[in-house]
Amino acid sequence: MSIVNPSFIEEMSRFTEFNAYACINCGSCTALCPMGIDLLPRRMFRHVMLGLEDKVLENTENIFSCLLCKMCEENCPKDVPIVDNIKSIRWYINREIFKLGRN
Amino acid sequence: MAVPIKHILGILVDNLSIRGSVLPLSKSRSTGWAKGLDIPMGGKTVIYTGHMYQLIPSITAMEKMTSKFANSWISKYYGIGRMVNKVINISRFMTWTNANERAKFDGMLRNIALLLKTAEVDFGYLYGEELYTGTLVYDEGINDVFEYHAHKVYERIKKHNVERVITVDPHTTDMLKSVYPKIIKDYQLEVKSYLEVLAESNLKPLKTLEQDIVIHDSCVYARYEGIIDQPRQLLENAGAKIIEPINSRKMTYCCGGPVESLFPIKARTVADSRVEQLTSAGDSSVTMCPICYINLKAAAENNGLSVKDISDYLVEAYCDRNNSV
Amino acid sequence: MSDKRRIGVYVCHCGGNISDYVDVEKVRDAVKDDQDVVISKNVMFACSDATQQEMIEDIEKEKLDGLVVASCSPMLHLQTFKAVAQRANLNQYQYTQVNLREQCSWTHRDNMEKATEKGIKLVRAGIARTRLTEPLVNIRIETKPKTLVIGGGVSGLRAALALADLGLAVFIVEKEYEVGGWTKKWGKMFPNNKIGSETINTLREQIRQHEAITLFTGAELIKKEGSVGDFAVKIKLVNHEIISFDVGAIIVATGFDSYEPFDGEYGYGLNGVVTLPQFKEMVDKSNGSLNLNGSRVKNLAYIYCVGSRQPEDGDLENPNLYCSRYCCSAAVHTASCVADVDPGINQYHLYRDMRTYGKYEVMFEDAGNKKSLFVRFDGEALPEVKESDDSLIVKVNDMLDGGEEIEIGVDLVVLVTGMVPRKNENLTNILKIPIGLDGFYNEIHPKLRPVETVVAGIFIAGSSQGPKTLAESVISSLSAASKSAGLLMKGYVDLEPFIAEVNTDKCIWCGECEKSCPYGAIEKVFCDTKEVATVISALCKGGGVCIPDCPEDAIELKGYSDNQIKSMIDALMKEVV
Repeated sequence: MSIVNPSFIEEMSRFTEFNAYACINCGSCTALCPMGIDLLPRRMFRHVMLGLEDKVLENTENIFSCLLCKMCEENCPKDVPIVDNIKSIRWYINREIFKLGRN
Repeated sequence: MAVPIKHILGILVDNLSIRGSVLPLSKSRSTGWAKGLDIPMGGKTVIYTGHMYQLIPSITAMEKMTSKFANSWISKYYGIGRMVNKVINISRFMTWTNANERAKFDGMLRNIALLLKTAEVDFGYLYGEELYTGTLVYDEGINDVFEYHAHKVYERIKKHNVERVITVDPHTTDMLKSVYPKIIKDYQLEVKSYLEVLAESNLKPLKTLEQDIVIHDSCVYARYEGIIDQPRQLLENAGAKIIEPINSRKMTYCCGGPVESLFPIKARTVADSRVEQLTSAGDSSVTMCPICYINLKAAAENNGLSVKDISDYLVEAYCDRNNSV
Repeated sequence: MSDKRRIGVYVCHCGGNISDYVDVEKVRDAVKDDQDVVISKNVMFACSDATQQEMIEDIEKEKLDGLVVASCSPMLHLQTFKAVAQRANLNQYQYTQVNLREQCSWTHRDNMEKATEKGIKLVRAGIARTRLTEPLVNIRIETKPKTLVIGGGVSGLRAALALADLGLAVFIVEKEYEVGGWTKKWGKMFPNNKIGSETINTLREQIRQHEAITLFTGAELIKKEGSVGDFAVKIKLVNHEIISFDVGAIIVATGFDSYEPFDGEYGYGLNGVVTLPQFKEMVDKSNGSLNLNGSRVKNLAYIYCVGSRQPEDGDLENPNLYCSRYCCSAAVHTASCVADVDPGINQYHLYRDMRTYGKYEVMFEDAGNKKSLFVRFDGEALPEVKESDDSLIVKVNDMLDGGEEIEIGVDLVVLVTGMVPRKNENLTNILKIPIGLDGFYNEIHPKLRPVETVVAGIFIAGSSQGPKTLAESVISSLSAASKSAGLLMKGYVDLEPFIAEVNTDKCIWCGECEKSCPYGAIEKVFCDTKEVATVISALCKGGGVCIPDCPEDAIELKGYSDNQIKSMIDALMKEVV
């Protein structure tokens, strides 16, 4: 059981925009992923939007495994900025978890 | 043990912050390719390598180390490695490169310069003043480090009154053309890939490429920048027959390169799939990105597929090698 | 019946459709010498112009008084050959169609011999029936150019205006003290954000200016007599005065009720659990922020399909199996309105299937773009709502994330309630129009006759017939108006004469037939010295339920008399040699 946390997405979007609200959960992205990561990016984005931080962090390796090749984004019927979103999640993890960055 | 993402990224960040590049190159190594080409320093139009071709031999060396580490006791000490690296440039030791490799990539840059000269493009070069654009930290999402660095790069370019840059690889093209304008105010730089510049020029082939070539589009050129027809036009004008693999143009398939530095095994799986696609289309393939080149080359090692950078083909068709320096 | 009849029989090939499997020559030969058959022919296409003309000439020349065409289904060509009879001055009810195609050749392709045998029997039965036909005359009713509209919601008002614009008088009877129904109560309504009460104000103003329209509010229909084209109605007015007048048609536009969740259904009854209509009122009244009990709402959840698509095999006695159509669109539209009021509110939509069909899809997208989040639940695992210290907790399995169980803490739960039929028992009894299993008024045919009821002259409009959006309600109300005008502007209506007829000699007035008739078409009259039943021809539908209920066999159905049926059975039983 996971608790929905609305403030997570606010934190996620504090420095960069995270936007997957247009997603209709068609799953084209997952089907096309050359990495074959069944979680990416559709379900991962749900976890972010619902604020299920544990689920997001559980999948750190998957998040950093994305090729950023845009195969999914090119074929997304709702034009979700998938790659920018992935980078937003990376930036969140780098900043809040790895404490990487200028500070 | 899991891959120490945090520490590998940490080393990249530290290097960029402290030494100006993710994997520091000496100035002689980053500018060595231009030796004897008589390219003037600076100018309104410059060729901008972004160090991508020069970095490949070092990245390859580091990956070899990483893939050795991935499941060994050493990965536990990556964290310590990062601390040491801040003081002593250990990534330098990790990235011993071999001279043949270096000469190959330098050769590609020389090809490009020669092609531009043949097309009568007037251009300079920033030599030791040129900086790496920060692609890797941008992709990994270390945004504040990247943004700081990007401003530094832009200021450096502007210091030399450059108005137009000609880029040589897709990643640097995307950075300077599409990413920088989003984060830098009043950004004023005209950016074109050399493939665009050549495609727009009056370059005439001197020799016919009587060859079937399987084309591997770079994800970044095809999907980020829409550069798809230019390489085809240049090769076809020279008489080559372009073979499109299953995944091609906007639907091109990744070479696996972007995750090499963190997950070399995963990257190799993707590269293997792509090589299989290319092999089933033909014997000779062409890439237009140094990262694609090195990854597909490695995956094609035992399968007989020839992998060449597009500059090799173009120079053969369009340039008089005897005129080269 | 001993009178000699003169019957013409035409057996059609249907270009092979029949003759490939039924030996039509043999069929003709078998009946050509039957009693009263004076002409029997095989024809390639009975429906062709040339053959129709040939039949007309035969009827006139041979002075036929009965016609049998053995061809396709009467659904296809009954009217065609009735018209042939009429053109030859033969009474149309002395024509019989025998279905030799759908019910014979096409169904028995495997056995031509048996198919032919069956064909012969069917044609013989047709001849037998025809032999006993009588010329019947349609029942013609002069229509009153006035319509009664029951219900002053948007459907009723719009229908009234449409009729009045055609020059027909309209009476609107509205039970409430004001017109407008649900629409009047609502603020911004999809898809164009027009304020509901403004829509009603516009209609009311137009109605006020129309001399042809009389509006009674606080009034009720208490009696209806007569039939299509000529109803006599009684209305009880707000001051309890009863008035009577005649109308030619009645439009029922009584609307819907919003589903009222039962106590505890998704936490209904807890502070902060509201229905969609209640929530819409909150949103309409909000100004800058959405508040509940004085504090600002930050997180809210919608639960869809409340009161709609209820499980057939669950605990509910009369589950609503239907989809209420309007609620998905209304909920996403409301969510967009909420985001416009306060973009900071987090809105979670717990839905089963998103049915923002047609153009309303863009509202779904709009809500998504305004950061509404959609969580799909399964009909087998419904969300749960419970109270915690300072908020409500909604528990749901997210089907878009592999059924992952999640808990959402919210300040407000909006139950997206559907439409249920109005409780109108009195009215239904007065009008005697049928109700479907779902409780809404039933149309004759869901595709081809969507606003007519089995009671001629009574039409249904808007959501009295089933869940509809406002736009769809207006479409159906205009449809009812045009059907009503079509009826009344012709000036008369012809009814088929297949109605019950009482043999007054046999009748002893026991009242059984009156009880069995669903249309109130039987009444008691004095005939000579005794009480007998009589049929009100304009009300009788020819349903025939009275006939078996009569202990004296005193009722027959014109056109389908007992003798006719018996003679057909005898013909079917006769061996084919």
